Amino acid sequence: MTQLQEHFERTIERDQRIEPRDWMPEGYRKTLIRQIAQHAHSEIIGMQPEGNWITRAPSLRRKAILLAKVQDEAGHGLYLYSAAETLGADRGELTERLINGRQKYSSIFNYPTLTFADVGVIGWLVDGAAICNQVPLCRSSYGPYARAMIRICKEESFHQRQGYELLMTMMRGTEEQRQMVQDATNRWWWPSLMMFGPPDDQSPNTAQSMAWKIKRHTNDELRQKFVDMTVPQAEALGVTLPDPDLKWNPERGHYDFGEIDWAEFKRVLAGNGPCNAQRIATRRRAHEEGEWVREAAAAHARKQRERREVAA
Amino acid sequence: MSAVSKMAFDNAYEAITEENDARWAYGTGFTDPLAGVDTTVPAEVDGADLAAYCLMLGDDALILSHRLQQWCTHAPELEDEVALANIGLDLLGQARMLLTRAGKADGSDRTEDSFAFFRAEHEFRNVRLAEAPNGDFAFSMARLLVFATWRLALLQRLTSSIDPVLAAIAAKGVKEVTYHRDYAAQWVVRLGDGTELSHERMQAGLDAVWPLVGELFEPHPVELRLGPAAVDVRELRPEFDEVIAQVLGAATLQVPDAEPLAGVSGKAGRDGVHTEAMGYLLAELQSVARAHPEATW
Amino acid sequence: MVTATATTEMSRAYQVAASVTDPELPMLTLADLGVLREVTEEDGVVRVTITPTYSGCPAMDTMRDDLVHALREAGYRDVDVRTVLHPAWSSDWITEEGRRKLAEAGIAPPGPAPRRSGPIPLTLTPPSSRVPCPKCGSPDTVETARFSATACKALRRCRSCDEPFEHVKEI
Repeated sequence: MTQLQEHFERTIERDQRIEPRDWMPEGYRKTLIRQIAQHAHSEIIGMQPEGNWITRAPSLRRKAILLAKVQDEAGHGLYLYSAAETLGADRGELTERLINGRQKYSSIFNYPTLTFADVGVIGWLVDGAAICNQVPLCRSSYGPYARAMIRICKEESFHQRQGYELLMTMMRGTEEQRQMVQDATNRWWWPSLMMFGPPDDQSPNTAQSMAWKIKRHTNDELRQKFVDMTVPQAEALGVTLPDPDLKWNPERGHYDFGEIDWAEFKRVLAGNGPCNAQRIATRRRAHEEGEWVREAAAAHARKQRERREVAA
Repeated sequence: MSAVSKMAFDNAYEAITEENDARWAYGTGFTDPLAGVDTTVPAEVDGADLAAYCLMLGDDALILSHRLQQWCTHAPELEDEVALANIGLDLLGQARMLLTRAGKADGSDRTEDSFAFFRAEHEFRNVRLAEAPNGDFAFSMARLLVFATWRLALLQRLTSSIDPVLAAIAAKGVKEVTYHRDYAAQWVVRLGDGTELSHERMQAGLDAVWPLVGELFEPHPVELRLGPAAVDVRELRPEFDEVIAQVLGAATLQVPDAEPLAGVSGKAGRDGVHTEAMGYLLAELQSVARAHPEATW
Repeated sequence: MVTATATTEMSRAYQVAASVTDPELPMLTLADLGVLREVTEEDGVVRVTITPTYSGCPAMDTMRDDLVHALREAGYRDVDVRTVLHPAWSSDWITEEGRRKLAEAGIAPPGPAPRRSGPIPLTLTPPSSRVPCPKCGSPDTVETARFSATACKALRRCRSCDEPFEHVKEI
């Protein structure tokens, strides 16, 4: 083991942070770039299902909340890509990999948003699950990622609260609204549980990521925490979670829940969910249609530099 | 880091539930954006005129905000995704306060939502510039530059309106629209000075926007009647021309020479006579609210 | 605090209101942020006045709720939260304590807000303001985006340690 490697291992062991200019093994760098990029892609693709309702939001207050939330997501994407860039990645290349299907994003965003209640349910369940996944990342061994996650988690817990508050308001509204909330809950519940990834015995990357302290909890641990947290919230809301096997297990001190349809998970992951093609097509179109704009900005910056050099 | 130790990161469950339960047990209820602001109309100001004027400025912001919202997930770069949403949000905030002010000024106590979602097209008083479809990025930046330059000049003068509510809304708006104008101006310069293609498209965008400029400086009788409570838009033209000349000069672009877009029997946006694009915009804006008129959101 | 009088600052109701945190920047209290303008008590009614940072601030209702909740918890039954728009919020109102907490959370606090009279000058090239990196302190930082996740912040990068960080804008 070289001295550099020893220093790296010791830093990890002591729960200290690795910073951009520190030496790190190539595998660590690659794993991190992949993870941060997928996280950034998820923020950006995640704007689409919610963005779908901004122009139609039924009150100006909800419109402002939703617009601010989608702006937040773009901002989170921005600072996650910046964190990936500290590892030597290039945002343009990462975007290419996303639209070529070589890098993934969270599968949850491959489901459609069909009513305004979906906006609330995404805040409650999807953001709730995302926070469960992300809170431990605030202790990731890589400094810029950990610090980005601290800020992101704080902002997202506000989103979750706003989503839940929308649902509460809708549940106090008309019968039709209550049905919208139940219907949206039915559609999003299982996909939310899939957000924690495959069961531990089938998760290929978990062990190394845990050893490097990039990841802190296993998929199943986090999933269980999410279920335990959500059941009382559903009760308070007055909606039924669509799982007949869901019940408190006093021996385990946790809720038992039904079998997740992993075949569906794999189908969506493989690109065959209801919205995979649409999400990528939208992202690709924005990227391609914006090319002349980005080229112009680069050309202008180049000209400005040249002008300054001539002047100097 | 001390920020880390504040949350129980070893236990994700605790970290997200520690502060939740009590706060989640109740909703926020409905409160208007001017809750607690003294909305008495000054004695020398006509309430109905003031309301109409607030709708004009509020509708401009609401409708352009809608167009900016339509850029969401389609912007050329992530930075612009954030910026366009932010500008749309600022304008939406201004619209909310102005529409609320309108409902207080005319004594009807109509809410921001009643104005936004339950008025017919001919009751919207925004300029047609605001409702024009987005076109390409160049058109959208040309429109935003024109709109923000004009609105900043207007809001700055409106800070001395004799209606203290309008003056306060304007003072907040000035800070925000300053950023909007800079953002649009910087893009117009980049595109104008960038590549041959971008130069062409930017000039085409300006040319397409220009027929909509004239309407901005045509005072409506309501504005004139309001006197010191409002701003006479004719006064804004020299400042507008100066700023535009500065931007287009830096961008190596020509100030277009275009006839103003005709109205119908002399009527245009401020009179509730819009373009064909407006019907589709409102159909989208109002669809959910109108499908569930009894609902609370 | 600019408008709160010494007596209100001393009052218990003020202390309770002042401890309520901002929903999006929970490391800061509403007092740190300069959003809490005044707390008065009269005939058993606590009246709290807050001002939005930006017109489109989506958190005003949440703040109002949190204030009511905190004050009720502290035994005040009758709480009235009001909005005030004038004078418009300025980043100069963020307190020293608020600035310290921002920096501690890795967010660069704002410099002095521009004071203007007459027509507002156009900014065609991003100003080269020297915002020190909240992580390593180097002044060699660049703005990478004028707008960030929330309206009040811009995104920057440190050229010394590569840290991407947010900066609260001067308004």
